[in-house]
Amino acid sequence: MPAVEVSDVSKRFRLELNRPTSVKEAVLRFGRRDVRHVWALRDVSLAIEKGSFFGLVGHNGSGKSTLLRLMAGIHRPTSGRITAQGRLSALLELGSGFHPELTGRENVFLNGAMLGLGRRQMAAAMENIIELSGVGDQIDAPVKIYSSGMYMRLGFSVAVNVEPEILLVDEVIAVGDEEFQQRCLQHMESLRSGGTTIVLVSHDTALVRELCDRAGWLDGGCLRSVGDPDEVVDAYLVHVADGGPEPAAGR
Amino acid sequence: MTVKHPGLRAALLLSPAARTGARLVRSFAERETKALYKRNLLGWLWSLLKPLTTVAVYSLVFGVIYRATAPSTANGQAEVFALYLFSGLVVWNVFNTIVNGSMRWMDGVSELRKKIYFPTETALIGGAAATLLQSSLEALVLVLIMAVLANVSWTLVFLPVAMLLAALFALGLGFAAAIVNARYRDIQHLTTIVLSVGFFMVPIVYTPDIVPERAYGLPVARLVELNPLNSVIAVTRDAVYFLEPPDIADLATAAAWATGVFVAGLAFFRRRSMAISEEP
Repeated sequence: MPAVEVSDVSKRFRLELNRPTSVKEAVLRFGRRDVRHVWALRDVSLAIEKGSFFGLVGHNGSGKSTLLRLMAGIHRPTSGRITAQGRLSALLELGSGFHPELTGRENVFLNGAMLGLGRRQMAAAMENIIELSGVGDQIDAPVKIYSSGMYMRLGFSVAVNVEPEILLVDEVIAVGDEEFQQRCLQHMESLRSGGTTIVLVSHDTALVRELCDRAGWLDGGCLRSVGDPDEVVDAYLVHVADGGPEPAAGR
Repeated sequence: MTVKHPGLRAALLLSPAARTGARLVRSFAERETKALYKRNLLGWLWSLLKPLTTVAVYSLVFGVIYRATAPSTANGQAEVFALYLFSGLVVWNVFNTIVNGSMRWMDGVSELRKKIYFPTETALIGGAAATLLQSSLEALVLVLIMAVLANVSWTLVFLPVAMLLAALFALGLGFAAAIVNARYRDIQHLTTIVLSVGFFMVPIVYTPDIVPERAYGLPVARLVELNPLNSVIAVTRDAVYFLEPPDIADLATAAAWATGVFVAGLAFFRRRSMAISEEP
């Protein structure tokens, strides 16, 4: 049985330009609203086997992050079904899952609670988390004063130390320095050998070739191909060379 | 010899989802409590300043200047308007703080919710739990004063009941207000206005019996009577002031409103909160 199963999933977002932000505005602008619908994903079907390392490639805006968010349960698909079996830990963007007003330590407990782990379990993991993140004494400072590197390192440390059965990673390790990136990769490797299913979104095609068992290429919300990472990445790069949209820096 | 019940905790919190929810509620409640008291030295005592000031000011205006009289307490000793007022105010504060706080608690986690899934209602329930904790301090002060006046009895057990019902009722309204306010930001200002009107629609600074039948063509007495909070206040007054067991009709009305509004508010919140996490 696959760890993550995506069946015929489509996701439509409702975009409203100049959405009224108060009752007063809504009344004044009654009947003159500019609502658009954007399809972020269309009929995506995908099965990710337990214990495998899956890579997602594609241009910016191709729906990779939306797909990860749906897997993480943050959004609900407009149609279709997504099932994820097991404890799921997601590292979706900088500081994902941190409450800015809480201290690092409090956030670790809060994140643990969200993942279904009790305080005792989190307290047991705390030392490892602090060690890996390298935030040191700052663990007791509110995370809003953290630098973006600290934010990300603590986020990653929590995500990998909660014994996830499924780990979703969205191009965050790019923020860390060389040394931290190496540690991240080591951690993901050891989680994988421990049986964790990993889904990685990355623009680093070399990394996808090296790490992944399988890969998928999303283009304009549609899954163009799934399979051997080398073949998928080659097909994607050919498409880029043929004048597909330039992959911009950023997400 | 002690008998252990390992199954008891499991029975109380059946599913893993319920345990997760309970942990989150606790986290958010701790967060709210710390935010309130950590930063100033006076700590918990500070939180009493506001309700006590309110009691002092209203007592001055209504008790001293207008010479409003309160009914006598159970032991017939005191006719202290301030205490009559305070007993109603304790429950009103629970209600008022939770309705207003719900929108704030929602805002506090809405960015977080866009990045990680968790049942958002736990943030509001946690905030309400923290409010109840804080209000129990006010309640304790009230009971202590009553104890000094030798006006206490077993009926005090209904005070926490009334506070809990007020909290449930407020949370139900707060769930709805938080959802609407996430989209239309002026709802929080409207709510403040409605609540300040609401305060005078319940017999807190006056006794129910002085309300005229009709005024300006409006059935004023009926309006005050129909206010759902009226029965909660009545239960409170019976419990701490008159030291009588609550009127069954009052208790039933209060419980029915509280559970009904809570269940409806929670259902609405659960149905709509997913869409709010998708707002850009």
